[in-house]
Amino acid sequence: MAWTPDVKGLIQPFTALKSSVEQPYTLNYPVEKRQDVTGYRGFHVNSLALCVGCGNCQEICMNEAIDMVEATGEINPKNASGLVPRIDYGRCCWCGLCTDVCGPDSLRMEGDYTYVSADADSFLYMPKDR
Amino acid sequence: MSKATRHTDTPATSIKIFHGPQHPGVTGNMSMELDLDGETIVKAVTHVGYLHRGFEKLVERRTLIQAFTIVCRICVPEPDPNEENFARGIEELAGLEISERAKFIRVMVLELARLQAHYLWLAGQGGSIGHEVVPQWAVGERDFILDLFEALSGGRVYHMYIYPGGVKRDLPEGLLERLSDLLDRLEQRLPEYDRVFFDNAAVRKRLQNVGVVDADEAIVNGYCGPVLRGCGIARDVRRDAPYLVYDQLEFDIPTETGCDAYARALVRRAEMYQSIRILRQVIARMPPGEFQCKLPRHHKFRLPKAETYVQTESARGAFGYFMAGDGTEYLRRLQVRGPSIVHGFTLLEPLLVGAQLSDVALIMNSLGICPPEIER
Ligand code: SF4
Ligand code: SF4
Repeated sequence: MAWTPDVKGLIQPFTALKSSVEQPYTLNYPVEKRQDVTGYRGFHVNSLALCVGCGNCQEICMNEAIDMVEATGEINPKNASGLVPRIDYGRCCWCGLCTDVCGPDSLRMEGDYTYVSADADSFLYMPKDR
Repeated sequence: MSKATRHTDTPATSIKIFHGPQHPGVTGNMSMELDLDGETIVKAVTHVGYLHRGFEKLVERRTLIQAFTIVCRICVPEPDPNEENFARGIEELAGLEISERAKFIRVMVLELARLQAHYLWLAGQGGSIGHEVVPQWAVGERDFILDLFEALSGGRVYHMYIYPGGVKRDLPEGLLERLSDLLDRLEQRLPEYDRVFFDNAAVRKRLQNVGVVDADEAIVNGYCGPVLRGCGIARDVRRDAPYLVYDQLEFDIPTETGCDAYARALVRRAEMYQSIRILRQVIARMPPGEFQCKLPRHHKFRLPKAETYVQTESARGAFGYFMAGDGTEYLRRLQVRGPSIVHGFTLLEPLLVGAQLSDVALIMNSLGICPPEIER
């Protein structure tokens, strides 16, 4: 079968070489850090001064990732049960439904998304009080 | 089914190898049991089951709002058509009318999803033929789209954004401007992909006349998406059964007549331009108003006893949901019909017979097979 070389098709791909003089698009981590994104669904935070211990968050979570546990520290005087949510990050899928149903808006999700610990039990995560 | 079937006898000299379940041909785990005569495939059998998570049953045991967060996980490369199907099915069953703004936002999300899915496909197609440059570019460009998704929904890959009754949040400030800038940039970059990939002599040699689909069987066997349009048949759910506001938008249905992997590549390339065209119209026409309608008994609302079938055009073809309500706050039945079930069995198995071993990943990728939606 006769083959007519496609000269243009053979040479043109080499135009990609010009990218080698471009600046990288990636960040020079850890010198440069990613900017926080407003509304990112990262780790939970729970403002204990607002949480009323109603357990709505526990009820909506379809992964059963939320346990209501005894609160430590200052809590909302209206929190009759004295319980606050603790989240199992082995089960959570970051859907954010728990934050949607939270009446007083105490449970929220913020930009943090890295967590390192040698203690596997700490993945039963107590949301930071913010 | 065409020429070869699953049960063709293999010659005694053939060697059996397993291609997969982890390999560059598909996004997910699926294995091909191949019988080879030298480098040529004489029999191919698809094996799935590595990803079965039982989505359909999981959904039946969760309230409608809880189930909404699961459906996106049925397809990793393009989760949004699942969310759209689920939300639209519920709206149809419950008789909810969503606002114009929500419809436009949903079209924006779906087209961005299509665009990023095509970039991911481009990366896979490049990877499967040993092209090193285009995968890096495509994944990089996809990341810019994911940045927008992140700002819009709070998540990069699973957005959980298209919600029964509308969308979850309103557009953040400045998102449309960012989108417009990104589209300029992407459109400006697309000709570079032509030079390096689509018009590349080596790429054409690899893709042309490989994985040739029989156009006469296409409709009967239920092929869809770029596979069908690569056979010269202009079918697209957005045009044939318009949903949201697609009937008000201008776009073409690109087709090619080659029926091979290269024709499907060109169809997807043209669709990227069409998605950009649709997105520009969405930016220009985004109406003000509510983004979410009021749901009756929000987190515990009930569906009447009724059934519906909804379809969305995904990057890989028509994606359908059959949904049945039974008067409770749970779905009685959800059935997911993704394009991959026909492309991965009915089409792929006979298509691989006679193909070369080195073309297997290429052919699988060009059909756009996504195993999670086979094993929902
Ligand atoms: S975090 Fe919100 S929903 Fe959960 S117990 Fe506290 S107030 Fe209730
Ligand atoms: S984000 Fe979703 S999965 Fe995680 S704790 Fe909240 S409701 Fe449960």
